[in-house]
Amino acid sequence: MTRSTRILMSVIYWAFVVYLFVPLILMVMMGFKDSAFIGFPIKAWTFEWYLGVFQDTKVINVFLYSMAIALSTTFLSLVIGTWIASFLGPYKFPGKLIVFALTCLPAVIPGIISAISLRIYARFLDIDPGMMAIILGHTVHNVPFVTLVVMARLATLPKSHIEAARDLGADSIVAFFRVTLPYLRPALIGAGIFCMLLSFDDFVRAFFLGSYQPTLPVLIFAKLRSGMSPEINAISTVVLVMTAILGIWAERSMRRMNKGTE
Amino acid sequence: MMGTDDRKAIVHIDNVGKSFGKTRAIDNLDMKIMAGEFVTFLGPSGCGKSTTLRILGGFERPDQGRVILDGVDVTNRPPNKRDVNMVFQDYALFPHMTVGQNIAFGLELKGKSRSETDQRVDALLEFLQLSGFRDRTPDQLSGGQRQRVALARALAPDPKLLLLDEPLGALDAKLRTQVQVELKSIQRRTGKTFFFVTHDQEEALTMSDRIVVMNAGRVEQDGTPEDLYYRPASRFVAEFIGETNLLEGTVRGTKDGTVVIDWNGRNVYGAAHDGDPRPGTAVAASIRPENVICLPEAPADDRALQGRIVSKLFKGNRTSVDIRIDEHDTKTITAYMDPAAADQFAGETVWVTWDKDRLAVLAN
Repeated sequence: MTRSTRILMSVIYWAFVVYLFVPLILMVMMGFKDSAFIGFPIKAWTFEWYLGVFQDTKVINVFLYSMAIALSTTFLSLVIGTWIASFLGPYKFPGKLIVFALTCLPAVIPGIISAISLRIYARFLDIDPGMMAIILGHTVHNVPFVTLVVMARLATLPKSHIEAARDLGADSIVAFFRVTLPYLRPALIGAGIFCMLLSFDDFVRAFFLGSYQPTLPVLIFAKLRSGMSPEINAISTVVLVMTAILGIWAERSMRRMNKGTE
Repeated sequence: MMGTDDRKAIVHIDNVGKSFGKTRAIDNLDMKIMAGEFVTFLGPSGCGKSTTLRILGGFERPDQGRVILDGVDVTNRPPNKRDVNMVFQDYALFPHMTVGQNIAFGLELKGKSRSETDQRVDALLEFLQLSGFRDRTPDQLSGGQRQRVALARALAPDPKLLLLDEPLGALDAKLRTQVQVELKSIQRRTGKTFFFVTHDQEEALTMSDRIVVMNAGRVEQDGTPEDLYYRPASRFVAEFIGETNLLEGTVRGTKDGTVVIDWNGRNVYGAAHDGDPRPGTAVAASIRPENVICLPEAPADDRALQGRIVSKLFKGNRTSVDIRIDEHDTKTITAYMDPAAADQFAGETVWVTWDKDRLAVLAN
């Protein structure tokens, strides 16, 4: 690589970084603006909008509601995803590829289409719009991700570990809980956090499957329609910080899993 | 502790057969393993030794036959329902558990009390010189230490039979020699029955009370290390174990246990260990290089063969000498000599002879 191309490459890279972060920086800044309208110039600064977020019981309730959905979804996705991975991974059977493709399908179906079809399906099953419907919708969407991550980890588990457990007196269920599951731990942490972020962040499915009680993205959307105010920036910034922390932690634990155990 | 009654059969492999697809992995294997014995199954990869081990462990079901463990038919029992434990080739230590937890695993599942488990783990750690390592995890151990932890874990539930699946393969050469000695001494001190599988003939010779050589699913020979080395039953065994010279010829006759073979028109003298072969049959005979005696002059008896030294290779502890007997035949006889003795052969001419009991006439 010549000197000029190296310079060009780094310029492109930094331009990309700026493009990526400027909107986020603007969003955080506007949350501190002492005015009801978003936009430059910022004449005065205030913490009021941020304080407001933590005092607004409606926002806090919506946040907790979204958290409850995310946690339930994550739990269900981990159980189902691990279960599918455990029989898709080690066994060979006719039609395995088809089962695998079907498992992955929900991950690639466009959100709006899956949201509409889930809405129709929920009505068909007599599930009322609301928390239950959203949890089921999110779980359908998340299971493929869990399955893929767990399968990848499972493929690196030496067969001899399970055999050693069996040899030492464990039946297949004890062997799964005492040897396989601990081995999957980093994958489950990583996949779990990813599930939480996917669920917490989702707008389309929550919008179609929800009742009058909004999730956080739906609430932000509703507030946007009544006009942009720095309050939205403040809410968004709080969510951004929390998800970023979770995301970085997930990434790190996934990386540890790859070097991890011998 | 066992070992007082060496004649008791702890395992009976009763006419066991196993195929994978069209491959016959084990062909009608029938044998008894005595309590306290160190038995090695030796053979090239794919010979059926590992399949035998996995059948004993309960990881494979035989297509036919039974496995009797201490008088009980365990053929259809899963691994967790038989008193057999295994040391795996990759040790298979649980990475998320400490050394102590690994060793305690089998004891806990047997329903032993915590204090009993604790005591047994401590005793095993001390026995295998791992005392300071109880709270370490497997990735903090060296290869040799891991191997000992795997051994401790398999010994912990006090199995009737211990299976060892090439457990020295992952160690470097120097450590391996040391571990061979240790393993043998551990086996002697515990009095346990060891069923060892390897493709390494030197390992087998060093440690075993008894070696079973397998080839293509069948037993080629079953005997002591000395039997196998000096009295191989077949050409396969002679070639698989150690270095050897194979002489192919026809039997001229037998007299007082001495077999006379016509080898390229010369008489060579050997001994048959499996019944005298009939005159006129084509046979192969095996003589180890260290049993070939080289003389600078013709000896008094007429049994020595005159030859020409074609190469001398200094190997440190010995000199390997290749001798051509027949100028029309490219085949040579290899002899090992003391390097100092090898220097005495200034010229090329040499007389080759051997103790006739050392030339094993092989059944074809």
